[in-house]
Formats: sequence, structure tokens, C-alpha cells
Amino acid sequence: MLFADLFFLYLFLPVCTVLYFISKNAGYRNAVLLLFSLLFYAWGDLKSLPLLLAAAALNFFLARRIAGKNPAAAKAALVCGIILDIGLLVVFKYAAFLTENFNALTGLSLSAPRIALPLGVSFYTFRLISYLLDVRWEKTPAERSFSRFLLFVSLFPCTVAGPVVRYADVSEELRIRQITVEDLYAGVSRIAVGLGKKVILADLLSGITAEIFGGDVASLSVLGCWYGAAVYALQMYFDFSGYSDMAIGIARIFGFRFPENFNYPFVCKTIAEFWQRWHITLGAFFRDYLLYVPIFGSPRKYLGLFLVWFSTGLWHGASWNFVIWGLYFGLFILLENLIGKKRIKKIPLPVRHLYTKLVITVGFGIFYFTEPARLGAFLAGLFGGNGNPFFGGETLLHSLSGNLFLLAAAILFSLPVVPWIKKKLEETPAGLVLSGLLTTVSNAALLVVSTVLMITAESHPFLYANF
Amino acid sequence: MTKEAVYVALNQLFSDIFDEEITLFPETTAKDIEGWDSLEHINVIHSVERRFGMKFKMGEISTMKCVGEMVDLILARATKE
Repeated sequence: MLFADLFFLYLFLPVCTVLYFISKNAGYRNAVLLLFSLLFYAWGDLKSLPLLLAAAALNFFLARRIAGKNPAAAKAALVCGIILDIGLLVVFKYAAFLTENFNALTGLSLSAPRIALPLGVSFYTFRLISYLLDVRWEKTPAERSFSRFLLFVSLFPCTVAGPVVRYADVSEELRIRQITVEDLYAGVSRIAVGLGKKVILADLLSGITAEIFGGDVASLSVLGCWYGAAVYALQMYFDFSGYSDMAIGIARIFGFRFPENFNYPFVCKTIAEFWQRWHITLGAFFRDYLLYVPIFGSPRKYLGLFLVWFSTGLWHGASWNFVIWGLYFGLFILLENLIGKKRIKKIPLPVRHLYTKLVITVGFGIFYFTEPARLGAFLAGLFGGNGNPFFGGETLLHSLSGNLFLLAAAILFSLPVVPWIKKKLEETPAGLVLSGLLTTVSNAALLVVSTVLMITAESHPFLYANF
Repeated sequence: MTKEAVYVALNQLFSDIFDEEITLFPETTAKDIEGWDSLEHINVIHSVERRFGMKFKMGEISTMKCVGEMVDLILARATKE
């Protein structure tokens, strides 16, 4: 069960909300949320539920030791906890990948274990690691109640695919939550926007990506390669930012303020800025918990940078193209750092926009192709290496003309056009009323159209639930 | 070492790193100085550690909010004048 699902939206969420609000006491309310969170998880991946519970219990116990008075025990507990959480990821996410690479290196033929990826493991292990380190660094006290901690770990709006919500973000709200009518309105609006991004834009764009990249990549024209990757970048944006909007909106209904995960990434003028606007909570995780790792006694700039981008890539999947993808972005961030912000600012704005958009487009192409041969064909194709013409003739023209409105809408909504219009409108009192009215009507329309699409179309899972 | 002396030394150090005249205050944060991003923070930390003959812990580097916090840590640990 995912957010863009009729059963979730029209049964699970309403029943949970009603039971939540008829429970007067904060303890009962937490109990309702915990019950529905565990139900949500079990629905998605019942056999991985014990793993989630065990990870929560062990981290809860270790964090208490980390916060304890014995310094040696605290240090040992921290080391154990981090090994445990990273170990979970290695075993359940990377075991097959590691075995295959080990076999390739040594010529052995060990059988690769076939372990299904436990739901949300990439996200909840990171949230647990951040909790242990925050307790160690005294940014937050260790949680005393296991049920509250389990609620933090399993909280259904963020367990499956983020945002990477930290314990410190919600520690107060796990105890006391004030929910106003405004919270409910903002929450439902955010859900409608996120659902629209996912069901209308991302799912329709995925049709174009499949059409362009689904066949023989080596036969694509130069422009076809660029077009496919650019459409995929937009698809990923609407898919994942739509999911994040829904997560933030659902959490808001229950009085949790989740951190933002996206901030119009395509307006960026440098690649470093792109990553401050795309999957913000993941970037912040790597910045706070990995970049300053003291290698050889001190944090090292270029080694830290390499570690962060190698890990960012690998985190997205057990495949080399993701590692290449991460290092590719790391390389541009390194270049920008070497050039320096002041010198970059002197470059004309259109050039900076063109540079970032081209780098991002190629990046998403690398992200798309998990098979090395197809990735190679794509990269060659971008620069005419496959001997194909620059312009692809019929297929490309057909795709462009058939999806003109969809592509225009996707570009429009990927840029902060709506907030700009709202801001302009809200400068006058009459405009303020009009803006509120238009927002409500458009959100209602989004909900209706998305629902109709969900009833009629086949279901498309959120892409980030696979990482 | 006095707090004032630490600020004088840090002003010099920051001016060298960011290639412009910088005057730091306790409430100065990375947002106030162009170019002081998470990556450049490593250079800042490295230079401060060398200048004052001390070490920051990883948690301190990650959670340091403003120059005032950095100065307090320096005063507590500096081994070089």
C-alpha cells in the first residue's frame, strides 16, 4: 500500500484520522498512530516487520547506553549501533551486489543470496543512525519511552520513502501536538498537490520515458537521448517531490511538521545548489553525519566529498550506474568548489542555467540505465557516438507533438510559477480572497482528476520506494 | 588567551580563506559569509585546528551553529597562543 492508492486515500487514511480525532487523550492518539503505522508497514511488507521492530528495539536500548554515565559503555554502544544499522543495509540491500562483484574480482562463483529488499530499510536505518549520533552529540536526549520511539521509527508518513525525518525534528511532537483547522486544511491541500504531481504528471511522463528509452537505445538520435533523459528528470521530480508532499501533508494532519524535501531544484544555478534543493533531507544527512568524518585524524575535504557522493550514489541502489551517478555529481561539485563561488557568479546567468540543466539531464540518464551496455549506448548517443542523426525524425516528433500540453505543464509546475502568481495576487485584500478560493478549487480539482486517473489507469508505484 | 585575541586571529584566518576582509561576531553564521558552505567548512576547521593547536570532535563540527560556539571551544582547548 502506497500513498497514491485508492484504498489508502479513501479508507486507511480517513479511518485512521477519525479514530485519531475521537481519541481525546494524547496517549490514545499515539496508540492509534502506532497501530496504523504498524498496519501500514505490515500491509506493504509483513515479513520484514520483525526486522523493523528488532532494529527499533536494539537502537532504543543502545541509545539509552549512549546517553548513560559510563563513557566506555557509551562509546561501545555507539559503535555497536552504527555497525548494526549499516550492517542491516549491507546484508539486506547489498549482499547480492557485493557477492557478484567479489565473484567478478576473484573468479569465484559464490552464489549470490537472493534477499528481497525490506520495505523502507534505506530510510529507517538512516533515521536510526542520525538518532544515535544526535544522542551521542547531545543534540537530543535519548527517548525514554519505547512506544514513543517505535512510533518515531515506524511513523507511516515517512517510513517507506522519507523524508529522512530525524528524531530531533519530531521529539516534541511525539509528546504534544496541537492541531488546528489550518493544519488540517494545509495537510489536505498538500496531499492533493502531491497526489496530482504523482498521478497526473509523473505517471503520464513515465509513458514518454518508456516510449523513448524502452526500445533500442543505440538507435536513438542525439536529440532523442537528451529528450528522454530530460523527461525522465521531470518524471523523477514529480514522482519523488509528489511523494514528499503527500508525506508532509499526511504528517501535518496529525500535527507533525516534517522538514521540506524539495525546493524547486530546477531553478538552480550551480550543481551544489541543485543538491540543496533536491532530496534535501538526504543531502543534509550526508553533510551532517558523513562529510566531517575524521579520516586520518581530521576531516579531509576531498576525501569527505568523495565519500559523500560515493555513498549518495550507492544508497540509491545496488548497481554501479548509481555509483557513477553519485560520483558524476560529486565531480561537478568539486569543480565548482575549485573555481570558487565568486568566479562562478561572474559567469552570465543564462550560461549557468544552461550548464546546470545539461549536467542534470545527463545525470538522470545515468540514473535511468542500470544495465552497463544500455548506459554506454545512451552516453555515446548523447554526443552522436552511435552514428545516428542529430534529429530523430518521426518518433521524437510524434512524442513531442502528442505530449505538448503535458510537457508544457510539467515544465511550468517544475518552476516556482504558482508561488510567484500567489504572491502577486496576495498583495491586495481582494487578491488574498481570490488566491485562497483558487487554491481550494484547484486542489479539489486535483483530487478529483487524480482519483479518476487512479480508478482508470494501472497503478504505478513510487520510484523512491525501491531505494 | 583572551576572547579578543581569538577573534583577532580568526578574522585574519577567515579573511585569508575567503579572500576578503572579514570581521567576525559571536552570532556570525555560515550564511553571513559568501562561500562558507559545508565543504569549505572543512577548510575552516582545518585552519582553526592548526592555528590554535587543538582538535574539534566530529559532533562539534556538525552541530556548530555560530562563530561564538567555535570561539568557546577554542578557548577551552587551545594549546597555541
